[in-house]
Amino acid sequence: MILSQRQILDRLRKYTVGSPKSLVITPLIYDKIGDVFDADSVDLRLGNYFLLPRVLDQPYFSPDKTSSTTLHDRVHVPLGEYLVVPAHQTVLGATLEFIKLPSDVSGQVLTKSSVARTFIVVETAPWIHPQYRGCLTLEIANVSNTPVLLYPGRTICQLVLMSLKDEPKSTKGVTGERKHKDDEPEANYFGPVYPEAPKFRNPEDDLLKLGIERVSSLKKIDLVRAGNRWIEE
Amino acid sequence: MSTDLADLLHDTTVLHRFVDFLEGYCKEHESSKTYPDSSGEFFGYVRRLSAGIKEQLPRQIRLARKFPHRLPTLRSGILALKQYLRILHALVKPATDAHALTIPAPLIDLASEQLRAVDAMSGTQVVVLLASELMYFQWPHTQIKLQATLVQEFIPRAVLPPKLGFIELPYSQGPSFFTNLNIYHEIGHVVYEELAGSSRPNPHFVRLKSSISRWLTLALPSRNRDPQSIAVALRIVENWTQEIFCDLFAIKLIGPAFSLSFIEMLGMLGYLSRSSSIRFNPTHPAPAFRLAEHLRSLSDDGWWEAIHDTNCEQKRTLAKLAAIPSSSYRFYIDEKKPGLQAFVINFLETVAPAIRSLVSEVTRNASCSASQFSTDRVIINKCLVAGVVPHNPGGSALTPVSIINSSLLFYLTSIAELIRHFEKSNERVTVEIYSKWMKRVEAWTIKAIDDSRLYAQLVENRRAKA
Repeated sequence: MILSQRQILDRLRKYTVGSPKSLVITPLIYDKIGDVFDADSVDLRLGNYFLLPRVLDQPYFSPDKTSSTTLHDRVHVPLGEYLVVPAHQTVLGATLEFIKLPSDVSGQVLTKSSVARTFIVVETAPWIHPQYRGCLTLEIANVSNTPVLLYPGRTICQLVLMSLKDEPKSTKGVTGERKHKDDEPEANYFGPVYPEAPKFRNPEDDLLKLGIERVSSLKKIDLVRAGNRWIEE
Repeated sequence: MSTDLADLLHDTTVLHRFVDFLEGYCKEHESSKTYPDSSGEFFGYVRRLSAGIKEQLPRQIRLARKFPHRLPTLRSGILALKQYLRILHALVKPATDAHALTIPAPLIDLASEQLRAVDAMSGTQVVVLLASELMYFQWPHTQIKLQATLVQEFIPRAVLPPKLGFIELPYSQGPSFFTNLNIYHEIGHVVYEELAGSSRPNPHFVRLKSSISRWLTLALPSRNRDPQSIAVALRIVENWTQEIFCDLFAIKLIGPAFSLSFIEMLGMLGYLSRSSSIRFNPTHPAPAFRLAEHLRSLSDDGWWEAIHDTNCEQKRTLAKLAAIPSSSYRFYIDEKKPGLQAFVINFLETVAPAIRSLVSEVTRNASCSASQFSTDRVIINKCLVAGVVPHNPGGSALTPVSIINSSLLFYLTSIAELIRHFEKSNERVTVEIYSKWMKRVEAWTIKAIDDSRLYAQLVENRRAKA
């Protein structure tokens, strides 16, 4: 069942922060309730930090242990300034709001319709598990043919909350708070306040769990000259 | 072309290439990174100055051609410019390194805001530099101001922003939030320098200066009062005075968080053994005396009582070192000669009280409140232990000083609790896990300060509208 505005406000106001039932959205900035709350959702704003895709020195991207440090450049855009997202380009951003979901509520992040009509797509992995804590990392893509300006502080997406029919019998600690099912040590995505680069294990480690014994990989090879021949270093 | 003129042309061209680079360097960094406003103003100044010099240099050649007898004057003018640019050159690089991603920018903004609330410091700005030394420094700015005024006659549009201070952070500590609370001490140096150079001296500062004169008569026997000894003695007491002033200033602005992070820093530098903690040296008073002054100030302002239930090593060290009797303090200029105890005793009795009143006076509009902290701390702890950014739902906004102090105390005492609460593994806590959670608490603290300043700005805007 989707939480109504009243239910969302109750969750925000009635419970103490440590309660499993409490919902946290901070900072929650509005003059009138209608500024950020719809009948069934809360608008979230764009934060100040971004991860911009780096031009790689290799002709491919392999999701492995090194990808969180090699894939992006971090950028800070203060309130009042903007970030240009070129046509057909992507960036990782984060919400200005830090959220904590209750233990019996899941969430979904959707692009605000007005933003979507500029062909900015926010979130391709929009599901948020119960008890998640942190600013939400937003996978932002400009699928239009023109560059688009993004202003931190403006509303960019909406959070829809859904209550679970049965409350989980036992929480898995941080396990239950993952946003993505990636089988990583779960605390990795806990409580971020900046956009988070993806964290992967090496493919061979993942595939070993399936009993796979041989894994191909694209390897960068350096060649050195040995007389009239080139050999692998 | 005469040889002299050719030399001038060469000299001028070298300078032109230098300022051309400096101008482009500032422009490039300003547009590619985010900096605190103060750094932006500083880069803007260097850019305008460089552009102005570039415009002026051809004029120098024209003048030299027209009035060859003025060649020596023109060359000495260029030399003076070069000397000034040498100082700016040393400042620009570490300032460009200190952008929003390498320093705790919200802390710098907050500290600058608090600084402007200090008596006679409105309009003061702090440029942060990332330095290679594992130490915090303040770069004296009086000389820069003097030179900037002289150069302004040559380049009228290059106006150095008034009251611009320069503070160096160790580059390794740039992203570390709590260690960087030490910058409040360095900001104290900026204030002291401004007080010393003010054309309308603060009466309490005048009183401090008289106490230093009194100290001189008491500490230096009349038979030793030759000009050189007097100069050395005054230099020493001036150093000690500034250090104590800056410590007390920092405590007035952010409370015990300064003392605790200061102790962490001293520990890292190895100054906390009993033998080194009782030693005054010509540049710094003994750590034990400094901490005794910290404790006195914290007690007077109700902070010590407010953190009485906190049990962390840093607080115990503070209490232990502060309790060392002053009779144990030692000061030697030369280890082979007898100690100069009169310097220390008379400093404690004559100068220290004057420093305390000066600090209380200048920070009367900027000092922070222990009672607000006690209220906010309960809320902040509940948030942190729940793994949430500190905030006060439905209540008044948390003050940045409460956030800093509560979070630091949490950081020093409760990381293990946080780990127990959230890590699924029951394995022994490793340094990596501990460090990961420390970083999280720091990140939540920075976010909370950012949010609190955003709320404050909103309230201010609404008030202005109303």
